[in-house]
Amino acid sequence: MRFVDEYRDPALARRVAEELAALAAGRERMRVMEVCGGHTHTIYRHGIEDLLPENVELVHGPGCPVCVIPMGRVDDAIAIAERPGVTFTTFGDMLRVPGGRGTLLEAQARGADVRVVYSPLDALRIARETPEREVVFFGIGFETTAPSTALTLLRARAEGIENFSVFCNHVLVNPAIRAILESPDERIDGFIGPGHVSTVIGTRCYAFVAAEFGRPLVVSGFEPLDVLESLLMVVRQLADGRTEIENQYTRVVRPEGNERALAAIAETMTERETFEWRGLGWIERSALGLSPAFARFDAELRFPLRGDRVEDPKACQCGEVLRGAIKPWECKVFGTACTPERPIGTCMVSSEGACAAYYNYGRVARRRAPAPA
Amino acid sequence: MTTLPGRPISAPADAPACVTCGDVAVAATVAAVPAAGTAVVERGGAREEVATELVGAVAPGDVLLCHAGVALERLRGAEAGA
Repeated sequence: MRFVDEYRDPALARRVAEELAALAAGRERMRVMEVCGGHTHTIYRHGIEDLLPENVELVHGPGCPVCVIPMGRVDDAIAIAERPGVTFTTFGDMLRVPGGRGTLLEAQARGADVRVVYSPLDALRIARETPEREVVFFGIGFETTAPSTALTLLRARAEGIENFSVFCNHVLVNPAIRAILESPDERIDGFIGPGHVSTVIGTRCYAFVAAEFGRPLVVSGFEPLDVLESLLMVVRQLADGRTEIENQYTRVVRPEGNERALAAIAETMTERETFEWRGLGWIERSALGLSPAFARFDAELRFPLRGDRVEDPKACQCGEVLRGAIKPWECKVFGTACTPERPIGTCMVSSEGACAAYYNYGRVARRRAPAPA
Repeated sequence: MTTLPGRPISAPADAPACVTCGDVAVAATVAAVPAAGTAVVERGGAREEVATELVGAVAPGDVLLCHAGVALERLRGAEAGA
C-alpha cells in the first residue's frame, strides 16, 4: 500500500538500527520522549524497542488526549449526557474512561442517549436530523482534532443549526512539553515530536525546546521506519552536540503548518487561562474553549456544570507515567488491579495509552527489571 | 476502541489504536468531488466522504491526510505521485 509498505521495510529498518547503535556506542544513557500516543503505539506494535541499543531509552509522553482528561471533566460530560433531551456524542475511547461517578458507557446503560461518532460532522448531522434533541459533541484531542471541531462549528453557524453545542476539551501540545521540561523529575534528553499535530501547527512553534531548554526535537511520521529514522536524527544531534528542531515527516508537515486549519481554530476557539491535565496538573494557556463569537454553541454555557475537581484514585500512577517519570509496569496496580478490561487509570483505557500499549503487546515480563537510575 | 459496523477509513481495521481522538490520521486518495468542500476518498477499497475546506480545492487522484472526517493536508512531492 502506498505510503505504508515503503516505511515498513525490515532490511532498511535493520540498517537504520545498526547506524543508530554505532552512533550511540560508548555514550551515556540517552532518554528520548515520544510525545505522541500514536508513536507509542507504533513503537510497541512493531517492537521498535527491541532494535535499540541498551543506552537509548524511549520514554512515553502525555500525547494521548484521552489519558490527560481529568476525572472531573468526565463527570461534567456524564452530567450533560444525563440531562433530559440531550443526545451526547463522543469518540469511542472516551466511553470507558472513568470519572468520579462512573463512565459514559454506564450512563448509556442507565438510559442516557450517548452515541459514538467518528467525526464531529457526524454529530452535526445528528443535530440536523433530530431538531427536537440537544446534540452535544465531546470535543477531545490535540491540534490534530481541533480543526475538525472548528470546521464543524463554522458549518453549524453557516447552517443556523441551534440545537448543536460542543463540550470543548481540546488541549495544546506545546504547553504540555514545556510543563514536562519544567517539572522537577524531568530527565529527557530529546523529543520525537508529534506528526499530525505538526501538520496543523507546523514545526517553527517548537523552537523554544531547543532555544530555551537545549533539547533536540524531531517531528516524526507514524510508520516504524519513520520513528526509527527520527530516533536516529535525535541521537545524531546529541552525538554532534547540536540542539535543533528537525522535520523527518516532510511528506506531510510544513514549517508553517496548515494556515487554513489554524485560522478555523482561531475563529472558533480561544485559549483558556488554565486547564487541568491528568498527571501534569494545572497548566496555563494549555487548552481551548469556544471563542465569544461561538458562545451560543458552548455546552459549558448552555448547561450549568458543577466543574468539580476529582482526585485520581490513590493507587493510580498515571500522572508519573504521563510525565515519563516511571514506566507503566512500575505502577503499583499495573496488570493487577488495573487492566484494559477493568481500568483504574486512563493510560490503561485508551489503546494509545502507554499502559495499554505495554499490556496489549506483552512488553512486561522481559522488562520487569528496574531501570538504571 | 469500540468496534462498530461500517468503520470509516479514518479508523482502519488494521489500526487498533483509537485513530479518531489520537494524533493519528490516514492517507487516502480522492475518488470524486461531489460538491465544493467535500471529497469522496478511497483507501483499501473503502470509501468515505471528508470535508476539504482546510486543504483548498482538490481533484481526483490527490492524496489527502484525513482525520475525523476532515482532510488536514495533502501529501506532496514525488511520494504523492508515486
